[in-house]
Amino acid sequence: MSGKRLRRVRQWIGGFYDSLDAVDQRVLWGVIGFALLLVVATVTGVMQLGFVLPTLALTGMWVLLALGLNVQWGYAGLINFSVAAFWGIGMYSVALLATPESPIGLSLGPGVAFIVAIVSSALVAVIIGIPTLRLRADYLAIASLGLAEIIRLLIKNQEGITAGTQGVSIQPLLPEAVAVIEGAVGAFDSVFAWDAVAFPYRGLTDLLLVSVAVLVVYLLLRRMHRSPWGRVLRTVRADEELAEALGKNAYALKMQAFVLGSVLMGIAGFFYAYQFLYVSPSELEPINTFYVWVAVILGGTGSNRGAVLGGLTIVLVREGPRFINDAGLLPVDPAAFRLLLVGLLIVLIVRFRSEGILPPRAELIWPAARETNSDGAGGDVS
Amino acid sequence: MSAFHEHALLQPAQVGVLDQLPQLLANGLVFSCIIILGAIGLSLIYSIADFANFAHGDTMTVGAFGAFVGAAVFGSGFTIVVPFTAAVVDLRVPAPDIVLFELPLSLYLGLLVGMAIAACVVVVTERLVYKPLNAGSIELLITSIGVALAYRALMQMAFGAEQRTYQISRQGRIALFDAALGIAVTPRDLVVVVLTGVLVVGLHALLQYTTLGRKMRATADNPNLARVSGIRTNEVILAMWVIGGALAAAGGVFLGIDTLVRPRMGFDILLVVFAAVILGGIGSVYGAMIGGLVIGMAHELTPVIPFVPVEYAPAVAFALMVLILLVRPQGIRGESV
Repeated sequence: MSGKRLRRVRQWIGGFYDSLDAVDQRVLWGVIGFALLLVVATVTGVMQLGFVLPTLALTGMWVLLALGLNVQWGYAGLINFSVAAFWGIGMYSVALLATPESPIGLSLGPGVAFIVAIVSSALVAVIIGIPTLRLRADYLAIASLGLAEIIRLLIKNQEGITAGTQGVSIQPLLPEAVAVIEGAVGAFDSVFAWDAVAFPYRGLTDLLLVSVAVLVVYLLLRRMHRSPWGRVLRTVRADEELAEALGKNAYALKMQAFVLGSVLMGIAGFFYAYQFLYVSPSELEPINTFYVWVAVILGGTGSNRGAVLGGLTIVLVREGPRFINDAGLLPVDPAAFRLLLVGLLIVLIVRFRSEGILPPRAELIWPAARETNSDGAGGDVS
Repeated sequence: MSAFHEHALLQPAQVGVLDQLPQLLANGLVFSCIIILGAIGLSLIYSIADFANFAHGDTMTVGAFGAFVGAAVFGSGFTIVVPFTAAVVDLRVPAPDIVLFELPLSLYLGLLVGMAIAACVVVVTERLVYKPLNAGSIELLITSIGVALAYRALMQMAFGAEQRTYQISRQGRIALFDAALGIAVTPRDLVVVVLTGVLVVGLHALLQYTTLGRKMRATADNPNLARVSGIRTNEVILAMWVIGGALAAAGGVFLGIDTLVRPRMGFDILLVVFAAVILGGIGSVYGAMIGGLVIGMAHELTPVIPFVPVEYAPAVAFALMVLILLVRPQGIRGESV
């Protein structure tokens, strides 16, 4: 790399850093610090790579869920309490269509499962959306939770199709890709010699795949959010009557946001099935919906970078109590402690920082349209 | 869900489904009582505090566990699990318990304790969490989810995740009902129905014939008008939380008597209660009673519906709720959305 290009990269990074406000900079350093801590913990053997990589892959999956809910609640103001149901539709698309272990025993491959996950979550979103999106905000909350419970009951009780509470085991995604990764990374086995036996090629494959998905979705959402569609959606959220007075079809816009968000949740379910390799109706419990809600309101309602931070937080909330418990520091049931943590987080965020840690700013403005010589306001992140 | 469902499953298909109708109606009445008690408080809070309180189901759980502790303190057949410790302390009172309608007196006292505890808990929550928030109904709704999870987590930490019972001895059916109507009604069913009747009539009398009741009705109707008319709405709102919490607790205790006491019991029944409130019309106490009756009956009458297995009883209630929202969002007695 030439010195000139290096300087340009450094300039771009500096410019990017300066465009962040104080909170964003602090959060950025926090995330960098956390990443370094993770690296140190892994290199010193405190944490196994076989745990770190799959957990990071799961984080990506939660980020997808949070991005999906952010489209619905953050962009369009829809209180959707059926996140877990769409997630479940995605994971059961994999379980039923691509898994020989399921009662119907179809092995149509992950590609079919991916398409079916998208199509079926979009269809169910339309079916749920038609009756509920015309309702008042709080009715939507209640109705969507009720419909999510119906879907959970169906998956739980239709044992002939879904195996019921027994759940379905799933085979890893793309074993060929795992083999390719192993061939490419296998050279570094010696670097991780202490961990060579358990070198987690599958976790690495999952992480790479979900990272690509998160990146694509993130860029797509940023583009959509800046488009006229994103702007008019914000108007619907802020003042529905105003949007309608301007000739916009608020119902259609809400439906589009609802379907888009639900499809992202379905895709997240697809990844979850392949990352966890086992799905059961308990994943459709409402608590998982509330995890995603914590992610979105903590990160910052309407903010995509907030949704990413929120996804990280969920994994901390879910995995953290286990470490405290393993260390013998938790005198109570870790499951109950986690539940309490989620509950208190919701109450405290709404009370003390309802705009979230990384509230949206300037994300509706094209960078080119922004005054270049302004007082440092406005960044390229949303 | 009552044990009768399992019994019904053993019957040959279609044979006698309609013959079971009186029995199903009796089961439905018991379940309706539980729903009605939850729905009244939820409806009151919806109308006066102006938000869908998702913590109301878990308030029922708090009441059920409160009664558990109360009955243990007063009773002779209980061991006390001291909350938040692993120690099981036996505080048995040696005297034999007095039995009323085949239920120990300690359980009746426990019911009162549970109602008092739940009322205190909701008032403290209102003062600590909801009131300082000073936010719109959506923020309150989301906050109430957090409160619901916190209640449930604390119950689970205090008493463990496993399910418990009030340790009532097995009861036979009441001979009178068996002979006259051919339906199986246990004394505890009768107690649930009669006590619910007492509570509902008491609330009706309070609303119609006391000053507090008139203030409550006025505030529910139009809080701002009530305030400028000189009603101290703060007091009214406090009274409403106390009544709502206490009635929810009674519903929780009855649910515990009818089935089991466990940390998830209230959250699991919340949507059915919401269905009743929406059917009756949000904000209407009498609507909540009607809605509770209809939804409770629908829930227990699932075996009569062709092609719908009993596991889908809650789904029937939810589907009914969505249907009502579609056709008549203002409910039976509600005026406007």
